[in-house]
Amino acid sequence: MTSSLREPRTEHLYGEDAYPDRPPRARSGTTAAGRGTRQRLPHRLSAALDHIDGDDLRLFDEPGPRARRRAAVLTAASLVLFTALLAWVLRQFAAHGQLDPAKWRLFGQWPVLRYLLDSLAATVQVTLVSGAIALPLGILLALARLSGTGWLSRPAATYVEVLRAVPLLLLVYAFLLGLPAAGLRLPLFWQLVWPIALTNAAVFAEIFRAAVRALPAGQREAALALGFGHAQTLRLVLLPQAAQQSAPALVSQSVRLLKDSTLGYVVSFLELLNAAKVLGEFNHTVIQSYLVVALVFVVVNGALAHGAARLERRPAGRRTTARAARPPG
Amino acid sequence: MHVLTSHPGVFAHGLLVTLHLSAATFLLAAAVGLLLAVCRICPVRPLRLFAALYVSAVRGVPLLVLLTLFVFGLPEIGVVYSLFWTVVTAMGLYWAAFLCETVRAGVRSVPPGQTEAARALGLTFGQVLRCVVVPQALRATVQPLASLLIAVVLNSSLAAAVGVTQELTGQTVLLDQRYAQPLFTFAAAAACYVLLTLAIGRTAAVLERRLAVLR
Amino acid sequence: MLSTVRGRRRAPLAAAAAAAALVLASACSGSSDTVVPGAPAAAGKKADTSAIDRLIADEKPASASLMPAGSTAAKIKEAGTLVVGGTQTAALFSQLDPTTGKVEGFDAALSRLLAKYIIGKPDTKLVNVTAATREALLKNHSVDAVIATYTITDERAKAVNFAGPYYVDGLGIQLREDQKGIASLDDLKGRTVTTQSGSTAAAVVEERVPSAKIQLFDTNTECLQALRQGRADAYVLDQGVLAGNAGTHPDVKVVAGTYGEQPYGIGLPLDRPDFKTFVNDWLRKIEADGTWATLWKNTIGTQVPGPVPTPPAIG
Repeated sequence: MTSSLREPRTEHLYGEDAYPDRPPRARSGTTAAGRGTRQRLPHRLSAALDHIDGDDLRLFDEPGPRARRRAAVLTAASLVLFTALLAWVLRQFAAHGQLDPAKWRLFGQWPVLRYLLDSLAATVQVTLVSGAIALPLGILLALARLSGTGWLSRPAATYVEVLRAVPLLLLVYAFLLGLPAAGLRLPLFWQLVWPIALTNAAVFAEIFRAAVRALPAGQREAALALGFGHAQTLRLVLLPQAAQQSAPALVSQSVRLLKDSTLGYVVSFLELLNAAKVLGEFNHTVIQSYLVVALVFVVVNGALAHGAARLERRPAGRRTTARAARPPG
Repeated sequence: MHVLTSHPGVFAHGLLVTLHLSAATFLLAAAVGLLLAVCRICPVRPLRLFAALYVSAVRGVPLLVLLTLFVFGLPEIGVVYSLFWTVVTAMGLYWAAFLCETVRAGVRSVPPGQTEAARALGLTFGQVLRCVVVPQALRATVQPLASLLIAVVLNSSLAAAVGVTQELTGQTVLLDQRYAQPLFTFAAAAACYVLLTLAIGRTAAVLERRLAVLR
Repeated sequence: MLSTVRGRRRAPLAAAAAAAALVLASACSGSSDTVVPGAPAAAGKKADTSAIDRLIADEKPASASLMPAGSTAAKIKEAGTLVVGGTQTAALFSQLDPTTGKVEGFDAALSRLLAKYIIGKPDTKLVNVTAATREALLKNHSVDAVIATYTITDERAKAVNFAGPYYVDGLGIQLREDQKGIASLDDLKGRTVTTQSGSTAAAVVEERVPSAKIQLFDTNTECLQALRQGRADAYVLDQGVLAGNAGTHPDVKVVAGTYGEQPYGIGLPLDRPDFKTFVNDWLRKIEADGTWATLWKNTIGTQVPGPVPTPPAIG
C-alpha cells in the first residue's frame, strides 16, 4: 500500500470534471460572472461529495459517451430505487403510527434528555476506565511477548491468543455468574469493566506488537550496533516510534471499547442501550428510542474515527516533508 | 466436571447453532459486502455515496444496538419474521460494512501500475477486475477475511442477548444456572471458541499458501 | 474487530449530518417539562402515589435496640442508603418513570419503606437485576436486598436467604387482545410460549406442556414485546406482572386463572442471617399495622380485581 494512494484525491475521476481545463460549454445569455458562480457551486458540491464517497481507485478509463450514458441511466435508476426504499420505510412507520410527532418530540424534552445524557456518561465512564486499564496492560503484554524470554513471552502469547478467541459476552457472563461462586466480589460496574479491559488489552497488545515489528529492521540493527542492550533498544529506539505508529489504530480501537460498553445491557448496567430499553418500554417508543441511541453512537464514534484519521495523516505528512528535505540521490 | 460429561449434547447442539448462525451471517455479509464494495468503486455517484454512508454509519453502531433495533424495533413497524433469521439479517448487514472495507483494502493492495497497465492494454472495467485485480486482491484478503470470520463467530454470541439462547454462550449460561458449576461450564465453552478460532486460522493459512502458488 | 483505518476518513461528514439531524429534531420540539406524551394515556388507572408517600412518611424508624452495633441493619444505616436489586420495567411492582426518576410500584414502595425503617429516611439505590443475575449480585454484596417479584424456591434458597413471603402470586397467561382459543395451560400445546430466562415459569411450562416451544428473553419488556409483535403466541409469568403489562399496554390481556403458587420473598445475602430475622420481623409489623393492605390497594389492587388479599404468613 503506497502512501500516495492514501492522500485524498482532489480531482474527479469520472465525467466532465475530469477535464478541469476543458473550456466550459458555451451557454447563451449568461455573462462571464454569472457563469463563474454557476460553475463553481456544483463543482464545490461535487468536491464535497468526493470527500464522502472518496473514489480513490483508478479502475476505469475516462468514460466515453456510451459509458457516460450508461452511468447516467444507472444514476437515475439508483435514485429512483433509494427514493422508493425511503418511501416504503416511511410508509411502514406511518402505517404503524410510529411517525406520531408525540413519539419523537419526547427526545427534545429535558428530563428525557437528561436521562439519556446520564446514561451516556455511564457509557463513557465504562469506556474510559476500561481503556485506562487495557492500554497499559496491553503495552506490558506486548513487551513481555517481545522480550524474547520464554517464561515471559509464552504466557503473554497464550493470554493474547486465548482472550482474542473468546467472545466478550461469554467473559462478561463468566465474571457475572462465575466469580461470585469463586468467592470474588465485584461491584456491577467492575463486572462490566474488567471483561472489556481484559479482552481489549489483548487487542492493544497485538496492535502494539505489530507496530514494533513493522519498524524497519535497520532501526534495531543500528541500535544494537551502537552497543545498546535489548532493553535500551526497545526503550530508546523502537518504542517511541512504535507508539507514534500505532496511535491511529489505538484511537480506532477506542471505537470498539465504546461499542463493547453496550454489553451493560446484558448485565443490567444502566448504560445508553439499557436506558433506551427502559425509555422505550415506559413511553411505548421502542423503535424511536433505539434509533436515537444508534444515532448517538454513530455521532460519537464518527468523531472518534475522525480523530483517528487525523492522527493517521499527521505522521505521514511529517515523513513526506523529511523525505523531501533530503537531497536527491 | 459431571456437568460436561452428562451434557455433551447440550454443548454440541449449542456449537452447531453457533456454526449455523455464523455461516448464515457470513454468507449474507459476503453478498451484501461485495455489493457495497462494487457500489463504492462504481462510476454511479448515488450508489457510491450510499455505500460510503452505509459503511461509516454501520461501523459506528454497536452490534448489540443493531440487534435490539432489528429484533425489538422492526416489529413495531410491522416487519416480523423468525427470530433466528432476524438476528442473521442484523448481523449480516453489520459485518457487510466491515467486509466491504476488507475487500476494498484488498483491491487497493494491488499496485496501481497493474491496473494502469491492464487498461493500457485495452481491457474493460470487468476484465481489469476479473483478470488482474481480483486474483491478486484475493490473496491479500484471505487473512483479513479469516479475521472477519473469527469476529463473526465470536460475536454470534450476542444472539443470546436477544433471545437466540440455543447458541453456545446462551446454552452455557443456562447450564450454569441449572447446575451452578461456572468454572467448568465457562472453561469448556471458552475452549470450544478457541478451537473454532484456531481451526479458522489454520484453514486460512493453508488457503493463503495455495493461492500464493497460483499466483 | 478488524479495522482498516483508512476509509474512516469519511465518517466525520456522516457524523456531522447525523448531528445536524439530531439538533433539528430537538429544535422542533418545545422544551416543556410536561408529562411524557404517550405513556400516561395508555397507562389507564394510575397508582395513587400520594397515598404511598403518606405511608412512607408515617413509617417509624426501628428502635436502636433492634439494630445492635455490627448488625447488618446497623451497617446499612451507617452507609445511609439501602441498595436494592430491582427492575425499572415491571409495571405495578417496580417501574421507573424516566421523566421524574421515581420508581413506582409494590416492590419499589416496599424497598423505600424498609429504607425508612432502617435508616430513618426512604433513601434507596436501585440496581437493575434480571432473573439471571440476582443471585450473583446478592452473593457478591452488590445489593443489600433483592425485591423483584422474586419467587421463593428450594433451589434458590440454597444460594440466598429469603425473608417473607410478602406476597403470593400464581402463574398467569398473557395474550394479545385479539387472540382467541387459549384459556389454560393445556391450550398452549405446540405453540410458542415466551417467558423470562431463569424464571420459575420456564420450568413449569416445560413440565406441564412439554410440546410448547419456549422462547426465552432476559426481561419482562422483551417478553412482552415478543408477544405483542407476534413472535410468541402467549406469555407465561406471574399474574401480577402480567396484570401490570395489561395496564400499561391496552393491546394485551390476561387469561383468568392462575397456576401454582409463587410466593415472593425478599432476597438477602446467605451470609447475613441476622438481616433475615430483622426483615421478617419488619414484614410481620407492616402486615399487622395495615401498611401492607394500603400498599396493595394502591399498587397491585389498581389492576387486579377483588378485595385486599390476606397477606401470607411470614417465615
